[in-house]
Amino acid sequence: MPTVLELLMPTAILAGAGVAIALLTPLIERAPGRERLLTALVAAPFLASLVSIINLGRSYYSQQSPFLNVSIAGQPYLASSSSFLVDAMSIYMVVVYLFLGFISCIYGALYMGRHRFSPMYCALALTTVGFLIAGTFSGDLLTLFIFWEIATTASYGLIVFEKKPESLEACLKFLIMIVLGSGLIVYGLSIVYGLTGSLNFWAVRSALIAEPDKRMLITAFTFIASGYAIEAAIVPFHMWLPDVYTASPASTSALMSAVMDQASYYVLIRVLIYILTPPAVVNWVQALAVFSVITMTTGNLFALVQDNVKRMISYVCIADIGYNLIAITSVTPLGVEGNLFFFLTGGSMTALSFMCIGLLNRMGFETLEDLSGIGSTSLRTALPLTIVALSFSGIPPLAGFIAKYMIFTAAIEANMWWLAVIGVVNSVIETGYFLRLIHVMFFRTPKKDVKTQPQVNLLIPIYALVVELIVLGACPSAALALISPAARQIPIP
Amino acid sequence: MSYALSAMLLLTTLSPPLVYIVGRRSNKAAAGVLCAILAADAFLLLTTLPTVAAGDSYTESYYWIPILGSIFTLFVDGTSLSLSIVTLALMIAATVFSTRYLESEGNNASYYAFLGFLAVGLVGVFVTSCLLAFYFFWELMLIPSYFIIAKWGYSDAHRVAFKFFIFTHAGAVLVILGIGATFMTTNTLDMLQAGTLLLGVPDETVRLILIFFTIGFAVKMAIVPLHMWLPDAHSEAPAPMSALLSGVIIEAGGYAIFRISMRMVYPAVAGTWYGTDFLHALTLLGVFSAYYGALNALASEDIKRIIAYSSISHMGYALFGLSLLSTSTVAGSGALLHLVNHAVSKGLFFLTAGSVMRGTGVRDVRRLGGLASKMPVTAVCSAIAAFSIAGTPGFACFMSEFLMLIGGFQSANLDSFDLIPSALMVVATVLCAAYALRLFWKVFLEKLQVEKAREAPVAMLAPMIILAGLVILLGVWPRLFLDLIVAGK
Repeated sequence: MPTVLELLMPTAILAGAGVAIALLTPLIERAPGRERLLTALVAAPFLASLVSIINLGRSYYSQQSPFLNVSIAGQPYLASSSSFLVDAMSIYMVVVYLFLGFISCIYGALYMGRHRFSPMYCALALTTVGFLIAGTFSGDLLTLFIFWEIATTASYGLIVFEKKPESLEACLKFLIMIVLGSGLIVYGLSIVYGLTGSLNFWAVRSALIAEPDKRMLITAFTFIASGYAIEAAIVPFHMWLPDVYTASPASTSALMSAVMDQASYYVLIRVLIYILTPPAVVNWVQALAVFSVITMTTGNLFALVQDNVKRMISYVCIADIGYNLIAITSVTPLGVEGNLFFFLTGGSMTALSFMCIGLLNRMGFETLEDLSGIGSTSLRTALPLTIVALSFSGIPPLAGFIAKYMIFTAAIEANMWWLAVIGVVNSVIETGYFLRLIHVMFFRTPKKDVKTQPQVNLLIPIYALVVELIVLGACPSAALALISPAARQIPIP
Repeated sequence: MSYALSAMLLLTTLSPPLVYIVGRRSNKAAAGVLCAILAADAFLLLTTLPTVAAGDSYTESYYWIPILGSIFTLFVDGTSLSLSIVTLALMIAATVFSTRYLESEGNNASYYAFLGFLAVGLVGVFVTSCLLAFYFFWELMLIPSYFIIAKWGYSDAHRVAFKFFIFTHAGAVLVILGIGATFMTTNTLDMLQAGTLLLGVPDETVRLILIFFTIGFAVKMAIVPLHMWLPDAHSEAPAPMSALLSGVIIEAGGYAIFRISMRMVYPAVAGTWYGTDFLHALTLLGVFSAYYGALNALASEDIKRIIAYSSISHMGYALFGLSLLSTSTVAGSGALLHLVNHAVSKGLFFLTAGSVMRGTGVRDVRRLGGLASKMPVTAVCSAIAAFSIAGTPGFACFMSEFLMLIGGFQSANLDSFDLIPSALMVVATVLCAAYALRLFWKVFLEKLQVEKAREAPVAMLAPMIILAGLVILLGVWPRLFLDLIVAGK
């Protein structure tokens, strides 16, 4: 049985390293070869926390029960104490955060390396990932809320880091939306606590099943779900996302889309599937299906008309949320598997595209027009962008295909044909604009000269993700082995 | 257990990087390496011949994604062996043809690498019985085709390539819905097992599966009204690519309708009103496509567009034959044989068109004429292709069309509905003869208009001559593939 300390070890390592790096900022800035030093300082805590997660995973898989509940206080105060939950899903999610966070933070360290106060940037990035991990392990709604807020707070710093006017505006928008969301969540939590006397996942769930009159609880969960819908940027709560991802530095967009986004879908799964399991507790399936359709269609149609590539990818992130919601809606083991696989691949794909775009921005390219003929002038930047575009379009043998296949199949399994068909239509629209991107890159004559070739070391994290997409596409079993225990927990006993 | 098929796929998968590296130095070397690999593939495939000719199917299975019920099964029976052998032959011909045809484009290392990719998809589609792997290969055909058309195509190639990609990809996502539904209801992704398991599935679901699959494949097969991408894509692609598009890729659609729609899903609705209506709809669509393609071919003036429309017409024939599969084995075998024969004839036809375009720089048939004196070898090859497409006895397509028409009347005995379509199909052969011979007449006979026309170099003539020989061989000895196809039943 792991202790609370063991559970929070990865968070402690990452956040502790963040604090240390922040304190040592003046020294690191003056050090010779500071980019390399920074990269090493970022990589080390990730590797250390990976080791601690492997230990945790070992002790989890060595015991029988699928859920491991750990709480700070003993039996009499259990209902009101902060508690943690370890299961196959949270372990998998943490591995995903560590992997994607590792690659995006390394990219961030290299990308921001020459910037003033770059160690601060890395410290904030490490803190964000660290507290998302703690949030993932939390076993009650309040703990989840607190850790989630810490992670979001750290991300504000990542967004405004370059202090551009538009990033300040975007960050303000983000701040207001998130504060609004938090307000909704806290209000909902207070109602739930008043009714059930607890915020623990299992206690709330059993109280909900037992409760004959569910109206008050439904009200409460409407607030909670709306709050988390803002964080997950479900249309119509999505307004902040395109602005934030477009205006913040590319490394921030990569990190946020790879880690924060996936974490927010994870929270939705926890709340919707693990607490409000339909039809036992509340039947929210059809309602969410409608949101899923609106979200993916809006995302894809807006992406279709964007001229700025970074903004286009931001809208693709929204479309991805829609695909994820399809899988959540199905409430089937296959759907959850598809979700969890999509977290990894979708996160890698968006992170990879933001990384490529960051590289192109450094070379002076912003709009689709600017990218004309990149394929012939700088093939090594065009190639990863092409592969990720094909993966987004769901072309085998890339990982995006397997993810979409699982999600659409899950919808069919849940007998929601119409949702699968709409998803497929959306997928075709997505192919349309990604093909336009490929077309512009390879078959137009270059408009702009490439004055500076890309920084070579930035290509290392990019190509690492390219390899990952190809490997996961050809051999998804590598990730599915970690995922399938999580899917076996569904339906919840 | 032997490893012939997996070795073949592995070898082909390794070809693109290899070809690319070699191709940086010289185009000829790249083509040579690619041809060698394709020839080795053909050899590996032929090692399965004894098993297949005896009427068994040859399989290899590997665990792939157990959680999705997917076992990577490689499988050949007579039909898939015939089609994949023809595919390899056509690919070799197209590769050799390209060395001189694309000479003026400079270094084409990436072109040959894309051809290698295409080979993986094309061969893979025919030799797997796992639906997921099938889809992998199915979509793998798309990416290299897109790049080849967009980069080495003629005027407005990007728009055409985009249209091609979006159309066929939209078809493919319907296929993925079908695959998902099949997996959901039967819990297996193996085509052969799923066929049995689908028999116990409720009717409504099977109907949806059947429709999803068939529409998806019909897009690739370019059945009217889903054909809009074909005339553009086939006429704007470089000639060797057109040969492969018309020769193999749309045949893959026909093969998929045979293997998945007809063999796997259809038995579950056979005998119901829905099954009967479905077959009748396919028959009518086949007839309609045959006429639509033939009439458009008669009205076109662009040498490659005529041939492209002719492909629509001939796919109409194949669909007609396939739709009679359950009532007449003769028609079914004829349809499959037609896929083989049409692949060779149409491949040859496109290569001769490419030779004409390279020799004269003109593609409008009104401005061509009398080339027989300037380009005698091309003229003879083109005549052979035209006669085959026209359905003249002694040339490849005659035998398969004959079988389909006979089969049509045979099945009209069981189902009187088939009588009129079969009669219409007989009439359609006249139109086929009309456009094929019109093309030959306008380009090679009449008065010479392009004085500076020159005969193609040997590297382009050789593949044409070999394919022409194959057309005649298949015409006089149809049993070569027919026995295999019939054995595979």
